Amino acid sequence: MEPILKVENLVKRYTKQNLVGVPQEFLALDSVSFTVSAGATLAIVGESGSGKSTVASCIACLETPTGGNLWFEGKNLAHAAENELRNLRPQIQLIFPDPASSLNPRWTILDIVAEPLVVQGKLSRSERMTRAFSLLERVGLSAEIAERPASELSGGQRQRLAIARALTLQPKILILDEALSALDCSVQAQIATLLIELQSSLGMTFLFISHDLAMAAYLADEIAVMSRGQIVEHGPAVKILQTPASEATRQLLAAVPQLSHAPQPAAQR
Amino acid sequence: MMRYLFRRLSHASLLVFGVSLLAFLFTTLAPGDYFDEMRLNPQIAPEALVALRAQYQLDRPLPLRYFSWLNSVLHGQMGFSFSYNSPVAPLLLVRAKNTLLLTITATLLAWVIALPLGIWSAERLGRFPDRLISVSTAVLLVIPDLVLALGLLVLAVRTGWFPTGGMASVDFASISPVHKIRDLAFHMTLPVAALVLSALPLLVRHVRAAVAEVLHAPFLLAAEGHGIPRGTLLLRYVLPAAANPLLSLFGFSIGALLSGSLLIEVVMSWPGLGPFLLEAILARDIYIVIGGVLFSTIFLAAGNFLADILLYWIDPRIRTENASR
Amino acid sequence: MIRRRNVRLWILILGILHGIILCAGFFAPYDPVQQDRKNPYLPPMRVHFVDTAGRLHLHPFVYVLQLRPGSFDQYMEDTTQPLPLKFFVPGDRYRPLGLFQSRFHLFGAGSDRIYLLGTDAFGRDQLSRLLFGGQASLFAGLLGAGLTLLIGWCVGAVAGYFGGWRDDALMRLAELFLALPWLYLLFAIRAFLPLTVYPLHAFFLIVAVLAGVGWARPARLVRGIVLSVRERDYVRAARGFGASNFYLLRCHILPEASSVLLTQAAILIPQFVLAEMTLSFLGLGVPEPVPSWGNLLSNLQQYSVLVSYWWMYLPALAMVPFFLGYLGLASVLQERADPYKIERRSLGSLA
Repeated sequence: MEPILKVENLVKRYTKQNLVGVPQEFLALDSVSFTVSAGATLAIVGESGSGKSTVASCIACLETPTGGNLWFEGKNLAHAAENELRNLRPQIQLIFPDPASSLNPRWTILDIVAEPLVVQGKLSRSERMTRAFSLLERVGLSAEIAERPASELSGGQRQRLAIARALTLQPKILILDEALSALDCSVQAQIATLLIELQSSLGMTFLFISHDLAMAAYLADEIAVMSRGQIVEHGPAVKILQTPASEATRQLLAAVPQLSHAPQPAAQR
Repeated sequence: MMRYLFRRLSHASLLVFGVSLLAFLFTTLAPGDYFDEMRLNPQIAPEALVALRAQYQLDRPLPLRYFSWLNSVLHGQMGFSFSYNSPVAPLLLVRAKNTLLLTITATLLAWVIALPLGIWSAERLGRFPDRLISVSTAVLLVIPDLVLALGLLVLAVRTGWFPTGGMASVDFASISPVHKIRDLAFHMTLPVAALVLSALPLLVRHVRAAVAEVLHAPFLLAAEGHGIPRGTLLLRYVLPAAANPLLSLFGFSIGALLSGSLLIEVVMSWPGLGPFLLEAILARDIYIVIGGVLFSTIFLAAGNFLADILLYWIDPRIRTENASR
Repeated sequence: MIRRRNVRLWILILGILHGIILCAGFFAPYDPVQQDRKNPYLPPMRVHFVDTAGRLHLHPFVYVLQLRPGSFDQYMEDTTQPLPLKFFVPGDRYRPLGLFQSRFHLFGAGSDRIYLLGTDAFGRDQLSRLLFGGQASLFAGLLGAGLTLLIGWCVGAVAGYFGGWRDDALMRLAELFLALPWLYLLFAIRAFLPLTVYPLHAFFLIVAVLAGVGWARPARLVRGIVLSVRERDYVRAARGFGASNFYLLRCHILPEASSVLLTQAAILIPQFVLAEMTLSFLGLGVPEPVPSWGNLLSNLQQYSVLVSYWWMYLPALAMVPFFLGYLGLASVLQERADPYKIERRSLGSLA
């Protein structure tokens, strides 16, 4: 089956320009390639600075890659024009790591979840409201708090709101960039359950970015391990966990806290 | 260190050039050909006009005109005054000296008063002395400096303690040097007082804010805990840490005082740039105005440059920031 | 909660003060340009409730002033001619807000003239001139501040949002304007504009000049805010929904800047009023006979006026309540924005 997303030799270079002197360059992505099938979950894991957030930003079309190709449903996102991108962006949504800064604290919950519809401008006000309420319900936020400002929500609630907002435009791909990392452990479990349930009912493709190998294994079918801008290992989750091939993977595994009743990897569910 | 200084110096020079360009552009924007007006002036000989035309190359395109004007400025020639029928530079210089006398004295005095007051206020934040100073500065802030100057003038008139204008008494030339200085001081008192009073409230408030922020920093509490005496704390810990905002305040205060002195000189008849420029505007003597503007920019840039040097010397963070570049 | 009440209090005070000036025609007994050559430099008439016989009157009254015999500029009260103050009297026609005509004034004395604040060299009522003068000065200040903030907002938004060469160019330009002391810049701009203009043109000239001087500081402030908000995740998220630059600026970025701008407005307006007063005082602003607080004070440049006629100084005090009001508003707004960082914002407004 044709993969929904195909990343080909993606390169991203950041240059810091001083007024005088040599511009400093930083290579964030060094020829990254992988594919994702529709409806599957790929986890990209790595330590800080390995480039995983950069991959997320490039796929979500929030950054322009310096080189390489990004195939999405037959179109090359890396070389698309701005107005084409504006139409494509809603189909690939990004959930940000910090729920506090990804929502405008002065806006109400209802406004935040309805914002994508407002921006697209396609539905009427009442239709927007109906959709907004149904989405809030879907992610487990009660309709009573809809008029409150977002600053009054807890971390877990904010992340639910972010997910609701991302689902508004019915994206095909949902990228979760360290979406659980800022949350408490118990809340992480709740959101993870929500995500699994959403995926099975909506059939979306997930890209899960994290440094937490255990959570990645719980949520994903395949895992790609990144280190210093390159993918050092890519394979089914179970195989990566049981027989890690690279040093980076081994270090990540060692960092996972061991519990006697740890959650089962996805493939064994 | 040299590299930092050189960078700041080139920054300042670029600024002055930019202002000169702006000022020059103003002349071209003035409605009507300026030289037409000059031609109608019977006091100016037609040969002088021809010479001026040639000197400023009015028939050439704009960029060339700017460069020829800039060239003459760099040679000390700042244009020609029509009302005084003489080159601008010597006229400006005389007046500028008087303005500088006023401004520099006022700046020094204002800071000498504002620093201790602000520090004292910051140390007793929220308590009675601080409240008293806050209220007094608020009162002073509310009174516009025009009103202040007029008020002081009225005071002088009513009490006769101070001369009501001018820079020197009638018999200035004939009195002894000591008396000269005393006479100058007497004449300077009111204008300087007006300037200092107008600048003081803002200075005190900002010094208080800057010092108060540093006073509550953890590193200072640690130093206090080491038993370092108050005086040393202030001089070697608090002031250097607060140097950055204070020095940019210093640069700002020079600009404010320069502007303030313009007005106060007019009110108090101090023979500085103020009345001179005003006359020039009313007489449409453009080159004097440009010269005055240029002078004030140079002085302000010099003051800011001085502040930059002081900052480099006092604040070690600036030095390390530059070393890592 | 207390803070919000404070803001409302100051706005109320300012509103009342501005309201009085706005309705200057009603509060002022006479037309400000009307001359009374027989009564130059009349001192203020004192309001009495008790007459010379010791009788208390419910209605306040003044005495007509007459020249002291043997002097040509000393006046004394003529106790044989009391003038009762009447309220809501018809008088000179005026147009409040330029909308309709009215003839009613707060107080007056019929066909006789009452000068509560004295007269000037041409016998013009100083009280009326003060009230109408406030219109010119305040309006110039408000309009000038508004224009400056608008320019600063636009420039700051463009520089901060788009960055790159636009940012560099605009910020260098701002630095240039900040490198000049403001009064010199004001002088320079004024010098190159025609000297003799119609009062209305002069007024708009002043406003344009004021706006041309003050835009740089607000622009830098707005730029800083825009730069910091631009990179926030919720802005990136909105871009992910397909939002245009315009939408992002309008709905997310610029609202952040508005609270700072409000504080800036409260600080700038009195500065601009003062700038107008300075210009008019020096004869470069609103021309005679239109009154403005500045040119009302310019008489004081004459030594004789300064020494003998103390009531000519009163317009100087007129603006003090206004400055107080704006200062109070500004400090309350600043506190509300940053209650723990004492006046740090004002330092930021300097840089």
